[in-house]
Amino acid sequence: MQSFLDVLALSSDQLLHGLTITVAVSGVAVAAGIVLGALFGLALTYGSAVLAFPVRVIVDVVRGTPVLVLILACFYMPAGIGLSPGPLTAGALALTVFCASHIGETLRGALLAIPLAQTDAASAIGLTFAQTLGYVLVPQAIRQIAPNLVNTAVEIVKASSLLSAIGVGELLLTTQEIIGRSFKTMEFYALAGGIYLAINLLIATGGSWLERRYRLR
Amino acid sequence: MGYALDFAAVLRGLDQLLWGLALGLIMGLAGLAVGSAIGIVAALAHVFGPQPARTVVRLYVGLIRNVPILVLALFAFFALPQYGIRFSNITTFAAVLAVYAGAYLTESFRAAMITVPQGILDAGRSIGLTGSGVALWVVLPIALRNALPSVGNNFISLFKDTSIAAVIAVPELTFQARKINNESFRVIEVWLTASFLYVGTCALIALTLRRLEARFPKF
Amino acid sequence: MEPILTIRDLTKSFGTHKVLQGVDLDVHAGDVVSLIGASGSGKTTLLRCVDLLEQFDAGEIRLDGELMGYRLKDGRRLRLSGRELARQRSRMGMVFQSYNLFPHLTALRNVMLGLTKVRRLPASEARGIAEYWLDRVGLANRRDYYPSAISGGQQQRVAIARALAMEPRLLLLDEVTSALDPELVQEVLLTIRSLAEAGTTMLIVTHEMRFARQVSTRTVFMDHGAIVEEGDPAIILGKPNSRRLREFLSSMSN
Repeated sequence: MQSFLDVLALSSDQLLHGLTITVAVSGVAVAAGIVLGALFGLALTYGSAVLAFPVRVIVDVVRGTPVLVLILACFYMPAGIGLSPGPLTAGALALTVFCASHIGETLRGALLAIPLAQTDAASAIGLTFAQTLGYVLVPQAIRQIAPNLVNTAVEIVKASSLLSAIGVGELLLTTQEIIGRSFKTMEFYALAGGIYLAINLLIATGGSWLERRYRLR
Repeated sequence: MGYALDFAAVLRGLDQLLWGLALGLIMGLAGLAVGSAIGIVAALAHVFGPQPARTVVRLYVGLIRNVPILVLALFAFFALPQYGIRFSNITTFAAVLAVYAGAYLTESFRAAMITVPQGILDAGRSIGLTGSGVALWVVLPIALRNALPSVGNNFISLFKDTSIAAVIAVPELTFQARKINNESFRVIEVWLTASFLYVGTCALIALTLRRLEARFPKF
Repeated sequence: MEPILTIRDLTKSFGTHKVLQGVDLDVHAGDVVSLIGASGSGKTTLLRCVDLLEQFDAGEIRLDGELMGYRLKDGRRLRLSGRELARQRSRMGMVFQSYNLFPHLTALRNVMLGLTKVRRLPASEARGIAEYWLDRVGLANRRDYYPSAISGGQQQRVAIARALAMEPRLLLLDEVTSALDPELVQEVLLTIRSLAEAGTTMLIVTHEMRFARQVSTRTVFMDHGAIVEEGDPAIILGKPNSRRLREFLSSMSN
């Protein structure tokens, strides 16, 4: 009977691959989610009714739906319209939309919280709306939502574990495969937990470091 | 190639979906109840307890909030039986949910406790209450009321997290939806319905919460 | 006769700022001592030290001869345990500028809390005592009201009842009318006067000079952490001796 460390040595490549997928999918989802989320947020705050309404519906539906359901929906629904995107793409899409909806809503809150006086002052010195947005409103809003972004990133990393349910070879599925072969159930689930913990602590630390670095601006 | 919407299969399975929804709500409520008990004790320990207690609470919160629920659930369901701890999948998941919820609720109650004004604490001390007296008879009742909005939001998240029980074959809503999906191939209808049921329930919970908050506003 | 409260050489600093510079004060049974002075003169800090809500660096406070807040062991000062401090605090009553009623309890239960939890009286007995004191401050008909449902003046009177229900040896009042709207100040001052006439021993920090003159048996003027003048209210407030007191009084009347 092999020891845990023996199995670990043998499966380290596999685990590393799983970990890479986790980090990659999470990274893509957060990055794309920030971009899409910014668009959502701006549309919700400043968009015309024609633009804001569909975005509102999307954001509310996505936020009221569990991530797992979003993932399963993105995995199964495309077949209905003749597409077959594959689990990784489906999963990344689901996580991106989840991330974007959350960021969009938070950004909307932050933008609405900026006093009207700021916009007035900006137009008083002759800035166009786009300039006001870019130089006055968005920077303030970003500083406001920065801690929130760290929490969202952590949630995305945790949600990436659910991609195992649609067969994506990320960290959790990989762990389950190793357990299936070696029966070292407790050890490897504990290890997986530990790795997720480490990733998320790193994200949180990175976030505080960035916050401290940019605070004096 | 067109896809004609046909809700027949979903409607046939509607009562299974609704029972699944009910199961999710029950697990969510159980998780909230037990999680709140954990959260209150942990918050009291963190705010009023000695240093070792504070460290234990911080470790608990830091660990649980950074590990995916699915990993916790799989650990509890598959690893613990090796050590003789074996319960049904529903019980196991509800217990995991309670522990998970407890970590978030600890923060909700802790935040409410530390915002009780110093003057109120002084008044408690001035009539001769000891530290634990002030904690139990003054801070705790005030904090429980003030934490309501935060606890309510946590419950909504908790309810959505019950969907993860589907992965260990608990027959809640998501599990039933996937079953219908695999049996009928009505891929669009079933997930639209599942999403609608979740969104609708969350909206109803949020409405109830707002009524509760109006009835029991913050001090 | 022994004073109820003796303060000797009370000294306290917040960091490098010396807030109390060796204060001496005696309060005898039945005394109503008014404590006046500018903000930052140390009056509130003095009161808080007496009620053991703040630690102090040197000096001693004795209530009926008992050393408060600390005990002496081999010449060193050791802070008393939480439990002992709580017991000592229960022998003094304090009323705060911002009333500090417990928001989750009715007026009656606010007054009862100390009786049931500290003096461990059965609820029925506690209720009787609480009702007596609420009636004494004129608020018997508000006993089932929550603090948010009564005016500031009424809240302050409940706070006075809450302090008195514990039968303290002396009552400490910290600018209890400063946070009130002007029309609500009178009801509280009248309550305090009736307590003074009934012989309640009180140490009152106040800005209400006329009231201090009417009600107190002695007035103490503090400035920068030290007692500058002390004596008959009529003299202190009518013919002040020191320049600082004269400046203070003229700034108050503007």
